[in-house]
Amino acid sequence: MNKLTIENLTKTYPNGVKALDNVSLEIENGMFGLLGPNGAGKSSLMRTLATLQEADSGTVMLNDINVFEQPTELRKNLGYLPQEFGVYPQITAYELLDHLAILKGISNSKERKELVSYLLNKVNLYEKRNKSVKEFSGGMKQRIGIAQALIGNPNLIIVDEPTAGLDPSERNRFYNLLADVSEDVIVVLSTHIVDDVRELCTKMAIMDLGKIVFHGAPQEAIDSLDGKVYQKLVRRDELEEYANSFSIISNKMVGGQPLIHVLSETDLGGDFELVKPNLEDVFFSNINTENTLV
Amino acid sequence: MFKTLFISELKSSLKRPMVYIFTFVLTAIIFGITATDVSIGGGVGNVYKNSPYTITSLTLAMVLFGILGATAFFNKAALKDYDNMFNEIIFSTQVSKRGYFFGRFFAALILSSIPFLGVFIGISLGSIYGPLFGWTSEDQYGDFHFMAYVNSFLLFVLPNMFIVGSIIFALAMKWKKTSISFIGVLAIIVIYFVTQTLTSDLDNETIAALLDTFGNKAYDNYTKYFTAVERNTINPSLVGIILYNRLIWVSVGIIILLSSYFSFSFKQVSKKTKSKKEELITNKEFLLPSVNSSFNFNGTFLQFKSFFKINFNNIFKSTTFRVLVVFSFVLLISTLVGGFEYYGLKSYPVTYKMMNAITGSVIIFIIIILVFYSGELVWRDRDNKINEVIDSTAHNSLISLLAKTISLIALASIVYIFATVIGIVYQLGFAYFRIELGVYLFNFMLDTLPRFIIMSSFMIFIQVISSNKYLGYFISIILIFGTNIIKAILHINTRMLSLGSIPSISYSDLNSFGPGVYGAVWFNIYWMLFALLTLILAGAMWNRGVATPLFAKIKNAWKSSTKQYKTVFYTVLVLWMITGSFVYYNTQVLNPYDNSDTVENGQVEYEQKYKKHEKAVLPKIIDIKYFIDIFPEERNVSVKAKLTLKNESNTKIDSLFFNTSDKWVAKFDIPDSKVVLDDEDLGFKIFKFNNALKPGDTLSIKLNTEYKTKGFPNGTGSTNVIKNGTFIRNSQILPSFGYNSSVELSDRHKRKEHGLPTKERMPKLDSTNTKALMANYLTNGVSDYINAETVISTSSDQIAIAPGSLIKQWKEGDRNYYKYKVDHKSQNFYSFISGRYEIATRKWNDVDIEVYYDKKHSANIEMMMDAVGRSLEYYTKNFGTYYHKQCRIIEFPKYSTFAQAFPGTMPYSESFGFIIDLEDEKENNIIDAVIAHEMSHQWWAHQVIGANMQGSTMMSESFAEYSSLMTLKSTTENPMKMREFLKYNHDQYLRGRGSETKKELPLYKVENQQYIHYKKGSVVLYALQDYIGEDKVNLAMKEFLDEYKYKLPPYPTSLDFLKHLEPKVPDSLKYLINDWFKEITLYDNRLVEAKYTKLENGKYKVTIDVESFKVKADSLGNQTDVATNDWIDIGAFADKDEDKLIYQKRVKIDKPKMTFSFDLDTIPAKVAIDPRHLLIDRVYKDNIKVVEEK
Repeated sequence: MNKLTIENLTKTYPNGVKALDNVSLEIENGMFGLLGPNGAGKSSLMRTLATLQEADSGTVMLNDINVFEQPTELRKNLGYLPQEFGVYPQITAYELLDHLAILKGISNSKERKELVSYLLNKVNLYEKRNKSVKEFSGGMKQRIGIAQALIGNPNLIIVDEPTAGLDPSERNRFYNLLADVSEDVIVVLSTHIVDDVRELCTKMAIMDLGKIVFHGAPQEAIDSLDGKVYQKLVRRDELEEYANSFSIISNKMVGGQPLIHVLSETDLGGDFELVKPNLEDVFFSNINTENTLV
Repeated sequence: MFKTLFISELKSSLKRPMVYIFTFVLTAIIFGITATDVSIGGGVGNVYKNSPYTITSLTLAMVLFGILGATAFFNKAALKDYDNMFNEIIFSTQVSKRGYFFGRFFAALILSSIPFLGVFIGISLGSIYGPLFGWTSEDQYGDFHFMAYVNSFLLFVLPNMFIVGSIIFALAMKWKKTSISFIGVLAIIVIYFVTQTLTSDLDNETIAALLDTFGNKAYDNYTKYFTAVERNTINPSLVGIILYNRLIWVSVGIIILLSSYFSFSFKQVSKKTKSKKEELITNKEFLLPSVNSSFNFNGTFLQFKSFFKINFNNIFKSTTFRVLVVFSFVLLISTLVGGFEYYGLKSYPVTYKMMNAITGSVIIFIIIILVFYSGELVWRDRDNKINEVIDSTAHNSLISLLAKTISLIALASIVYIFATVIGIVYQLGFAYFRIELGVYLFNFMLDTLPRFIIMSSFMIFIQVISSNKYLGYFISIILIFGTNIIKAILHINTRMLSLGSIPSISYSDLNSFGPGVYGAVWFNIYWMLFALLTLILAGAMWNRGVATPLFAKIKNAWKSSTKQYKTVFYTVLVLWMITGSFVYYNTQVLNPYDNSDTVENGQVEYEQKYKKHEKAVLPKIIDIKYFIDIFPEERNVSVKAKLTLKNESNTKIDSLFFNTSDKWVAKFDIPDSKVVLDDEDLGFKIFKFNNALKPGDTLSIKLNTEYKTKGFPNGTGSTNVIKNGTFIRNSQILPSFGYNSSVELSDRHKRKEHGLPTKERMPKLDSTNTKALMANYLTNGVSDYINAETVISTSSDQIAIAPGSLIKQWKEGDRNYYKYKVDHKSQNFYSFISGRYEIATRKWNDVDIEVYYDKKHSANIEMMMDAVGRSLEYYTKNFGTYYHKQCRIIEFPKYSTFAQAFPGTMPYSESFGFIIDLEDEKENNIIDAVIAHEMSHQWWAHQVIGANMQGSTMMSESFAEYSSLMTLKSTTENPMKMREFLKYNHDQYLRGRGSETKKELPLYKVENQQYIHYKKGSVVLYALQDYIGEDKVNLAMKEFLDEYKYKLPPYPTSLDFLKHLEPKVPDSLKYLINDWFKEITLYDNRLVEAKYTKLENGKYKVTIDVESFKVKADSLGNQTDVATNDWIDIGAFADKDEDKLIYQKRVKIDKPKMTFSFDLDTIPAKVAIDPRHLLIDRVYKDNIKVVEEK
């Protein structure tokens, strides 16, 4: 069983933005979802875990490896897919993965060949292995990125917004792949898509403004809102009014009319309809504490 | 619309710092040049540092710099909407195509030209502040020439920026890629350099002037014969060759711009949409293999290999790289094919020529490649957004940087090696089969490869510590090109501070890589350790993950480095410091040198302290015996000399004065005397006799000197005392006698700065100055014609040669000994040589002709002996006896390019004749000319020599040139061939006038000025023999020689020669002596019109209108027309090539405009005034015209 321990991680950028604000987490084998809106500090956290950025204070331990003091050791155990994954021009998919496999210490050429072929097949790019990656579509590039993150038996796989740009079937394949490997290793998945976490993760955290605002199992979170979420279709010009009187978690358009979700300890009655809370409600209720219209 | 866009574009760019930075840098450079003693741009001597000529030259020199700015502005103007993805928005507005296109273009044109205001500001400020702060003296500046700035701006800046801009703009519009624009700029520069190589021969001058994109050559051509006064007063204007050049290139620019305009469209060319292919789902099954991650040495090596492969391929496959390589090869090939050597002759493609050509044309491109791709490689991961993945793998940063560095080195080496292959193919194509692969390889390993290693490592380091690529480029370029300028400004000489600098190891067939090798090895070690050190530092500072500022990088490097890593760093640091100490010890302690400031101050001090001894009476050397031991392998020489001195004056002599040197350490054995002054710093020593030397007394003294090579110096080391081809002169190996006025500072401005009185270059021509007449200009009164004997020894594999007949030869131990004795009393002016030589011999009457040459250089030996024989033939017949029993030509290595006449011997440089290809040459045989010239010095300089005053070199150098021309003439049937040869002399004389730093003098008062005594002297004497007859001139020279031959002082002056010449000149031509010898006279002849008509008798009547002015110039080049009353030839050519002169008549021209006619049997192709180019005429071309039917 692997264990990733994050303690009191803090990082303030020179421009004063607090990207990480006393973040502490403990993560074990399995898929861990890190949910948060854009700019919440997810990528900063991910980069810090991937030894690509120093924190101002705090520690990160993977098992007995201190990430800040032994970055090389951590890198030996790491698979990382950054938010933006680019490729070299003038290089084929196979060459790129082969190069990365070498960097990840796969020195035996036969093993490396099998591994690269296996991964290319897994991400459905085996037939295109000798094509220049530069010509690949965004989704195909992303799949290469996923393949490289799996090279070399990592104990810790960090994937930052991995499904951006993937079509639904590609997304499914990707999740299956992650699920396959996540039994024995830690997979940290950052995303702003609630469904990703719901479908995959056993544990999750929600981040906002550099802070962990929720940490636990998705179902626990949903359960905690049980009987407290109401919804109602309203007119657009009424929105303001509702926002003042109720704590609106979210609103979205349904058939051209706003459908609002409201958090309430008491039964609201009237046209409000009690609904079964979902993860989205959890997400918004955690980050939308100001109850502003979003 | 145009106006709006133009103005908005200008405004937005003027808000950015770029244009100001360019202007500032340019101003600073120009200010530096103008306000200090840097002699760039032609503001030297009598030419003011703010003259129209200097202004224009500096403007032109800055054009290459200006292209940098132009590239940036035009490329940006064309691409900024695309780069910002704003194009679709702007093109969907109401903007007109014309307004958009030209608005942007002309705004960029203005922006690119603005920095050139720096020339105006820099020169204006420089001419005020230079003298104000005492950096320069006020008389180096003339009046303010506003129109020179305006004209050079309008003639050169705007058109050049327009041409460059139109090309860049068109490329950018078409390809939308910065790299293509960059290649375009390089193409312009390559073309520019190719046209520059064309001009090494006179015949191509006009073509080159027209082809030069920037008009540089056109301006050069226009001003080539300008005198100082003209340079100081004439503003550049749109005339002649400049007009044609500008017309051609501005038209080219307009055509490019218009075609770009018409093919430009707002509509997007639809990008190639790739057909989406159905993705194949494979049925293949792969099993996840069980893999092992291992991070051991093998793995690290694999990582290195993989990094290397990726980096290497990335560059190798890129278009920019390939285009750069093609450019460099184009330049190389044009250098190889077009490289003329001397008087239109080519040399054999010997290895060192090839290596020079390769280095000269390819290295600059390799530097561009290294600078450009060091940035690309370092920033590539980030630019391609793959850095986070790569950075988070467990590789060592140093491995990645090492791979980048080594891929750069590998690519540079491949380009270089390929260029070498081109060189070898060229050699083979020339049917030259002495391919010295070992030499190429050695040169590559010792000179080229280390340079690549050092530059690559250092530039990778620069990029690693820079916060972005462009800053890195900027720093790299500053370091590569700026270091030497900064060092020069700060008067720092040590190589230890200029990155990668090593002593020259220029290859010679005689002496291999020469004296610099030992130092080069150590400097290379020093620099390579430094390079490694920077790489290790870079490895520690390499930014993994999020970019951090430099300060954080340093902090992080310290924190994150392992103990092991630090140990490696410290080990290399210590090794580097040890090497550095060793280099320092050798270059500063063992072989100290003075920087230019110390030298200058030393000169000043020497003059101030010891000038008072200048007039001291010295005894003369009347006999000298040398004992010289040369140790070629150790590069040591020991000299013992026994001198017999005699007081030939009529006063007592109580002191002896010597100039000593710290290279040739001297021991003095002067009986009955004591040292009263020993100034080691300035090298001056005075001995005082206990009993003064009375008139007529003689005295024997011994002078012993030792030259020892110790370690290696900062420079290349002595190129005189070497392993093969040691060549030393007597003046060098012994301390010289008396106050040496040639040490004095000669630059008139510098003298003024140091508060020294003005110095005349030479004593005035004055036949009553009896004191000056007692010394000749060669030995300066220390001796007259004396006997000399030499015993010289060298190693067993070498031959040692001293002047005179070989009396005895023996072996002692494993050394060869020779005893030579000069057959006839001669000037105390000797050379001593030792080398491994082949000897060719031939007899001419009783004289032994001997050529000592390197066995690889046998090609021209027979020709050389022929030339010696021919010279002996002509000179003995026309001038008199040859007094030596031998004539030796001795080859010495190519470190200098000259031949020189010593009594009976002629050291002759390897590069000056031995390797010139004369197989197909029937004309312009340079070997014949040089040998005939040097041979005639056995008469003109060694039998008779002028007093040490103005005009004396006429009787040696002008006479030698004349004699040489006469031997040439005696073998040349067609007189037109002589014109072919003499045109170079005309050209060099006229050019020489322009670069005169003091004053031009008439021939009979020449002050050792080469363009006068060689070039004008030969032209004038050649014309003279044509006017009064060869036999008359020869007779005058012979009579003069007979009067003064080997005669004790007083020595003759040019007036003594003129006394012999004047009676030989018929009265009708007496004016020539005045015009040609005593004054500076030029001719301005022109053929205005030429017509022919057929006569009834079948003949053709040719009528020509000629114009002729005679021009008199003063010493600064002020010229005035005077009335012509001269005899000048007119003539007609049968052919267009002016090869067959079918008619010639000398006519009296006494009016500025005259008409002549004559009858011919055939229609001539051309007619001419002065058809054989006897007279000095700044524009000779207009003397000849094609004849038309009336």
